[in-house]
Amino acid sequence: MKKYISYRRLTGYLGFAALLSLSACDEDKLLNTSPPTSLSSAYVFDTPDRVLGLVNGIYKGVKSANFYGGRYLLYLDVRGEDFINVTSNVYTAYESWNNSYSSGSNDIISLWASAYSAINLSNILIDGLAKNGTAIDATLAAQYTAEAKFLRALSYYSLVTIYARPYNENNGSSPAIPLRLSPETTPENNGLKKSTVAEIYAQIIKDLNEAEAALPENYSTPLLNTTRAHKNTARALKTRVFLNQKNWDKVIEEAVKIVPQTTAPYSATAGVKHQLQNISQIFTSDFTSTESILSVPFTSLDSYGGQSSIAYIYGANSEYYLNPQGIGGDSQFSATDARRGLLKVTSGRSFLTKFGTASPFLNYIPVIRYSEILLNYAEATANKGQLTLAANLLKAVHARSDANYTFAESALATNTALINAIWKERRIELLGEGFRSNDLLRNNLPLPAKSSSTLVSGQVSPSAENYIFPISNAEIVTNKLL
Amino acid sequence: MKHKYFATLLYVVFSLQTLLSVAQDRTVTGTVRDKSSGDGLPGVSLIIKGSNNGTITDQDGKFSISAPSGGILVVSFVGFNSVEQPLNNSNSYNIDLAADTRQLSEIIVVGYGTQTKAEFTGSAARITGTAVKDIPVQSFDQALAGRAAGVSIAQPNGVLNNPPIIRIRGINSISLSSYPLIVVDGIPINTGNVSADANVVNNPLGDINPADIESIDVLKDAASTSIYGSRAAAGVLLITTKRGKEGKVKVSYEGWTGFSTATRLPKLLNSTQFVAIKNEAVLNSRILAGTSQEGYETFFPSNNADGSLVDTRWYDYLYRTGVSHNHNVSITGGSKSTSYFFSTNFSDQKGFLIDNDFKRKAVRFNIDHEVNSRLKLRASINYNTTFNKSPNSGSLPNNAQLIVGAARMALTLAPNVAPYNADGSYNITPTGQIGNGNNKIVSSYYNPVSLLALSRYTSENDRIIGSFGATLKLLKGLDLTTTYAIDRLRTENVAFLSPENGSSSSTKGQGSNVTGLRNNWNWTSTLNYDRRSGKHHLALLAGYDVQKFENSSWGAYVTQAADIYFNDYQGSWGVINPTGNSLEAKAYLSYFGRLNYDLNDRYFFTANFRRDGNSALGIENKFGNFGGVSAGWALSEESFFKDAAISSTLNSVKFRASWGRVGNGNLSNAYGSQELYAASLYGSAATWAISQAGNPRLGWETSEQTNIGVDLGLLKDRVQVELTWFNNDVNGLILNAPQSPSKGIPGNVILSNVGSLYNRGIELGINANIIRKGDFSWNASFNYTGIRNKVTALADGNADVIGSTHTAVNAFNVTRVGESVGSLYGAKTDGVNPENGRRIFINAKGEKVQFSHVVGAGDFRYSYLDGTRAPEISAADYDVLGNALPKWYGGLVNNFKYKQFDFSVNLTYAGGNYIMNGTKATLRDQRFFNNYTDILDRWTTPGQVTDIPRLVYNDQTSNGNNGPISANVEKGDFLRVQNIGLGYTIPTGLINRIGLGSARIYGQVSNAFIFTKYTGSDPESSVNSNSNTSPGVELNSIGQARNITFGINVGF
Repeated sequence: MKKYISYRRLTGYLGFAALLSLSACDEDKLLNTSPPTSLSSAYVFDTPDRVLGLVNGIYKGVKSANFYGGRYLLYLDVRGEDFINVTSNVYTAYESWNNSYSSGSNDIISLWASAYSAINLSNILIDGLAKNGTAIDATLAAQYTAEAKFLRALSYYSLVTIYARPYNENNGSSPAIPLRLSPETTPENNGLKKSTVAEIYAQIIKDLNEAEAALPENYSTPLLNTTRAHKNTARALKTRVFLNQKNWDKVIEEAVKIVPQTTAPYSATAGVKHQLQNISQIFTSDFTSTESILSVPFTSLDSYGGQSSIAYIYGANSEYYLNPQGIGGDSQFSATDARRGLLKVTSGRSFLTKFGTASPFLNYIPVIRYSEILLNYAEATANKGQLTLAANLLKAVHARSDANYTFAESALATNTALINAIWKERRIELLGEGFRSNDLLRNNLPLPAKSSSTLVSGQVSPSAENYIFPISNAEIVTNKLL
Repeated sequence: MKHKYFATLLYVVFSLQTLLSVAQDRTVTGTVRDKSSGDGLPGVSLIIKGSNNGTITDQDGKFSISAPSGGILVVSFVGFNSVEQPLNNSNSYNIDLAADTRQLSEIIVVGYGTQTKAEFTGSAARITGTAVKDIPVQSFDQALAGRAAGVSIAQPNGVLNNPPIIRIRGINSISLSSYPLIVVDGIPINTGNVSADANVVNNPLGDINPADIESIDVLKDAASTSIYGSRAAAGVLLITTKRGKEGKVKVSYEGWTGFSTATRLPKLLNSTQFVAIKNEAVLNSRILAGTSQEGYETFFPSNNADGSLVDTRWYDYLYRTGVSHNHNVSITGGSKSTSYFFSTNFSDQKGFLIDNDFKRKAVRFNIDHEVNSRLKLRASINYNTTFNKSPNSGSLPNNAQLIVGAARMALTLAPNVAPYNADGSYNITPTGQIGNGNNKIVSSYYNPVSLLALSRYTSENDRIIGSFGATLKLLKGLDLTTTYAIDRLRTENVAFLSPENGSSSSTKGQGSNVTGLRNNWNWTSTLNYDRRSGKHHLALLAGYDVQKFENSSWGAYVTQAADIYFNDYQGSWGVINPTGNSLEAKAYLSYFGRLNYDLNDRYFFTANFRRDGNSALGIENKFGNFGGVSAGWALSEESFFKDAAISSTLNSVKFRASWGRVGNGNLSNAYGSQELYAASLYGSAATWAISQAGNPRLGWETSEQTNIGVDLGLLKDRVQVELTWFNNDVNGLILNAPQSPSKGIPGNVILSNVGSLYNRGIELGINANIIRKGDFSWNASFNYTGIRNKVTALADGNADVIGSTHTAVNAFNVTRVGESVGSLYGAKTDGVNPENGRRIFINAKGEKVQFSHVVGAGDFRYSYLDGTRAPEISAADYDVLGNALPKWYGGLVNNFKYKQFDFSVNLTYAGGNYIMNGTKATLRDQRFFNNYTDILDRWTTPGQVTDIPRLVYNDQTSNGNNGPISANVEKGDFLRVQNIGLGYTIPTGLINRIGLGSARIYGQVSNAFIFTKYTGSDPESSVNSNSNTSPGVELNSIGQARNITFGINVGF
C-alpha cells in the first residue's frame, strides 16, 4: 500500500517537473530570434521604399569617410606638390604626402576596402533587381540599375587610377585590380586574378554608357539632382575617364553633350541645366546649385568629424598648408582671385577652408563639378589643336573667380602652353578636390619633391614603385589568385 | 560559571553511576578551538573511543562529557584533522584542532551539484575564498593568478577593474571568447567588459564582493565541464558564496587600506638631452638629403619665469600614488532550520594612473530554510553599485594609437615644454593642442593637464543578482530542485570632453550618455537521485536549463555647448546625435543528465550528457549534443596495495581518465548566422545596406578533450601530487573567416566553421606540509602547466588571420596553420649596419635590405648592402617572429606560521613566449616625441656596433612605428613575487578582554618584484586585453601597479 502511494506521488512530482519545463512552441520562439534593429536579407527587396533605400545605400557606401566622404580626395591632393604637411601624422595622410606607404598602411587598406564595399553594394542591387525586381516597375528598376552601374564605374575608376599603373604608360596592358561584377555574400570566390588596366577601363565605359541610357534626365529637386546620378552625371564622368586615356575625341564627344556652346556662357541644355555659379556660395551655402553635378551630402545625422573629416584636417586642425612653391605661389592664382576666399591665412601659411572650418562639418563634398568638365573639355580641345575653344573654356573658368585677370598671350598661343595653363587652372580650381596627383599620373609626370623646414618628401619618378598605391595587404593574404 | 559546571558534573556523575558499572566515570569539560584562529569551534563531535558515548560542542566550542578515566576522547570535525585525546586525571581539556590539509575529503562543487574529491574523476581545482579576500583587487578573478594548475591568469595592465585574461588550458577558440563560463551560485553571469565607452573599462565581475566568496572551483576537463555543454569550451569557474551555518551569530569586520604606485617606468630624456637628440635627427635628415644645414635646429630649450630651464617630468602629471580602502562587515548564523549570511562592502580604490577610480557598494543576503523534512528553500540576493572612472589610458583595446592616451602622452611629450604658462593658465594653442615652447614644430598632442582636468569617462553599474530555489524530497534519495535566478545589470556610461580645450575644442565640447540594460534570467530544474547500498553508490541527475540574455542600450551624444559652463550631457547643447543604440536577445535551452557510480570506494565512473540549443547559431544547426565519460581507480584502496611495503610512503594512489566533447557557440553577436541589412542615412535619405554576410550553416565549435591523470598521497598525505596530461582537439572553429576585401563584404569576414587547433600539455600540482614542528609550520603548494597550442587548419586554403592592434598597420599577430594562435608577426630585422647606421631588414628571399628614411640623389630608401636598389620591405616580407602564448606557467604559494605570526610568499611565473614590445617603438620614435635614455646609444660613427639606428627625423620605419619589426620582439619569461604578506593574530586572551572574538592584522605587498629580461613595462601586458588573435602585445599602455596594503580582520 505504502509503495503504491509513493509511485502515485512520484508520477505527480514528475508531472510537476514537466510543468516547470517550457513547452515546445516556446522553444522555437526562444531559439529562432531575429534582430529588431536590422533586416534579414530575405525581406530587403520587398517594398519600393526598401529598394530605394538600397540605392541610397550605394551612395552612402561611396560617401564612406575613406572614399568620397573626403579622405580619398585628401590622399590624391597631398601626394601632389601643392600641400605641405604639418603634423607628420600617419592617420591624417602623412604617408600619402610622403609617398612612403606600404601595402600594410592604413590608408591603403581602408581605401581599398571602402571602394570595393561600394562596388559590392552596386552588384547586390543590380543582381537583386534582376532577380526580385517585383516591388517596383521596370522603368524604375532600370533607373536604379543604372545608378548602381554609375557608382560601380566611379568606384572602379577611383581604384584603377591609384592602385594600378597609369593607362597611358602602356595603353592599359599592366595588370590592375580584380574586377568583380557579381554580388558577394558567401565565403566563395576569394581568389580572383587582376584584370588589366584596359579591361577595367572597358568595364567603366560600358557601365557609364549603359547608365547614361537608363538614368533619368533629372530629378524632382535640386538636392536629388546633386546627390543622385542622372544622364549628365554619367556624361560628365565619362569626360574624366576618357581624359585619363587621352582619348580626346571621346572627351569632346561627351563634353559637347553638357557643354554645347563654343563661347561663354556655357551651360547644359539637356537634362539638368548645369552651369557655373558663384564660387564662394557653392562651397559655403548653395550646395545643390547646378554647378554641383554630383556631391555627397552632409547633415547633422550623417556627417564626419575628427580625422574622418577632411574639413577637420584641412580647415579646423590646419594640418596641411599651401606650398608656397606650389600653386599657392603661382601668378595665375592672383591675390584678387575669389578662390583665395576658400583659404585662411594663419602665421603666413594658407590653409584650405573649402570644406569648412568648424564642427559640425556639413559642407557637401563635390565629386564632379561643372568647372571640371569645362577644363576636361578644354584640355581635350587644346590637344586637338582647337585652341580658341580651349582658351574660351579656360577663361570661362578663371574669369568666374577672377574677372580682371588676363592670360598672357603666350600662355594661350601654343597647345603646350595652353595645356600648361589648363593644368594650372585645374590646380587652382580643383584644389583639395582630389585631382592633382592623378593629373600628374595620367601624364606620366613625376610627383615633385616638396619640403618644409622639418619635413621632406622626395620626388617620385614614374618608374618608381611608390608612384602608385600598393595593393592592400589584406587582399594579398586572402586573394591567392591575385 | 564554575559552579554551574561543578553542579553538572555532580549530576552527571551520580546519574551515570547507575547506568555504567564497568569504570568509575566522571565528567570532563573543555573547549575545542581552531588551532589557526584560536576561535572556539561549535558543533565538533566528541566520542569516547570504543563506546557510543558522545556529545557535540556548543556555540563557543565548549563541551562536557562523562568519561571513564584512562579512556580516549576522539574529537572530529569536518575540515579538520581528528584528534585522539587520552584522558588522564585532569577533568578539563583544551583541544586545538588543525585544519585538515588533506584534500581527499574535500567537497568539490561540480556542475549542478557537488562531489567529494575522492569520487571525482575529472580535472578540477579549488581555490578557497580566504585566498582572495584580502588581496587588493577590484574583482576576485584578478586574485587567482598562479593558484591553480592549468589556469593562466594575467592582468593586461594596471587600469582598475580591467578584466584579467583567463585561459583554462590555453586558447580554445580563435574568434569566440576564450574566457571561461562564470557561474555564481548556479547562475551563469555576464562577463567581459560591459562599458559602452572604449575609454573606461568595466568588468562585471567587479560587482561580486571578493569577501563574499566561499570557494572558486575551476572545472578543466570535458568530463567535468560537459554538463555545461556548449557553454564550457573554455572551462568553467563555479563561484560559491558564503552561507550561514547553524550556530552562534558571528559578526566580522575586514578592512584594508592600500597604496598603489606605478612600476618600471622607462627613464626618459631630460630637457637638454631631448633638444640635443631631436636636433641631431633633424641634422641627419638634412645631411642625408644633401640639403643645406643652415638653421637646422628645430628644438630649443625654454625657460620658466624664474629663469630656470623647463624640464617637465610628465610622469608627475599622469601618475600618482593611489590610496585605496576597503571595508566588509558580515553577519552570519543560524538555527537548526534557518541559516543566513549577510554582508556589506564598501570599496574605494584609486589607481596609480591619475583619475582612475573604482568604487563599490554592495550588500548580499543569503538564506537557507528547511520548511520540513521534505522541503528546503534557498534564496540569495546581491545588490551593488560599482563606479569606474578612467581617463583615456591608451591601455584598452583599440586605444593604443590615440594621441589622448595617458600612457603614451607621458612618454612622448616634450620635456622642454611646460604644462602651465607663467600666468598659471594652461599651455595650449588656439586649436587646443599643447603649446610648443620654443620648439619650431607643430605637435598634434594635447596638454594632458588641461585634457584630464576637464574631461571624464565613467561607467557605473547598478546590479541585482538574485535567486530563489527549492528542493523537494520526493522519495528517499530522490530530490527535485528548481532555481530561478536573475542577473539584472544596468550600466550608465558618461563621457564628457571640455569645450575649452583638448580634443573636443573643435566641436565646442562633447558629452555622451549611454545606458545599457543587461537582463539575464535563468531557470534550472534538476532531479537528483543518490543511493548507497553496500558497496555500491549510485547518483543520477537529470535536468533542464533555460537561460535568456536580453541586452538593450541607448544613448546620445551632444556637441556645441551653449556655454562652457555646461559639463554634462543634460546641459544645453547645439547638436544631438544618437549613439550606442543596440537591442538584442539570445537564449540557451538545454537538457542534461549525469550518472555517477562507484563500487567499493575504489572504482569510479561518471557519464555526462547535454543537449544544447543556442539562438545565435544558424537555422540549420541550433542544437548540439555534448557529453563525456570518466573513470577512476583508487589503487591504494586495493588490499594488495595496502599490504605492499610502498604503501607506508605512498599512502594514496588514484588514477583517473576522462574523455568528452564540449562545444562552443558563445558568439558575441546574437545574430551572427544571419545575412542582415542595416539602415542608415545618406544625407537625409534613408538607406539600406548589407551589414553582415551570414551563414545559415553556422554551427558549434566542438572540442574533444582527453584527460589522464594520477593523484598521489605521500607520507600520510603530507605531500599530495596531482599529475594530469590533457589533449584538447578543437574542430569546426568558428572563424571570422577573412574574405578578400575586393569582395566588399562588411568587415571582410564571414563567420564560418572552419579550422582546427589543439592544446595539449601536462599539469602538475604539489601540495606539501613541508615543516610542522611545534609552533612552526610551512605549507607550500606548487603548480606547473606545460602547454602547446597549434593551429592545424584555417579557412579557405588556410589563409592567415592577421591580428591588428588598433590600426591595420600594427599587424602584430598572425594566426597561421602550424603555429600557435596569434603568433607575433612582422618584418625580420638584423640589427643596424655598422657602416652607415641603417636598419637592416631581411626580405622574403632572405636578402639583407638596409633602410634610410631620407636619401639624397642616387641613393635609395631601400637598398642592398652594396648600395643597389632593393624592393621596399612590405607585408609580403613579414614572417612569424615568435609564439605569443606562454608555453609554461604556474605558481608557488608558501605559507609560514610561527606562533601568532603568519607569513606568505606567492610567486607566479610564465614563459616560453615572446612579446611585441610596441612601446619600444614609441620610445625610439623619431618624430617630435621624447625618447628613452637608451636612445643615447644610437649609431653616430662608422664602425659603431649598436642596435639603435642612426637618428633621422620623422623616420617611422627603422624602429617599427609603422609596421612591426623583429627588433621589438622580446622573450617574455618572468618570475613575479605576486604577493608577500605578514600577519599577526592577536592572542585570544588579549582580545577577549577588549570584547573581540578574534583579530588579525596584516601587511602585504602585491606585485612586489619581478625578475625578467623583458624591457617593457610588464611581461603580462596585453593591450588587446582578451583578444585571441592578438595576444602578447604591449603598445603605449600603462604598466602594472605595485600595491602595499595594511589590513585588519576582526571577529566579534
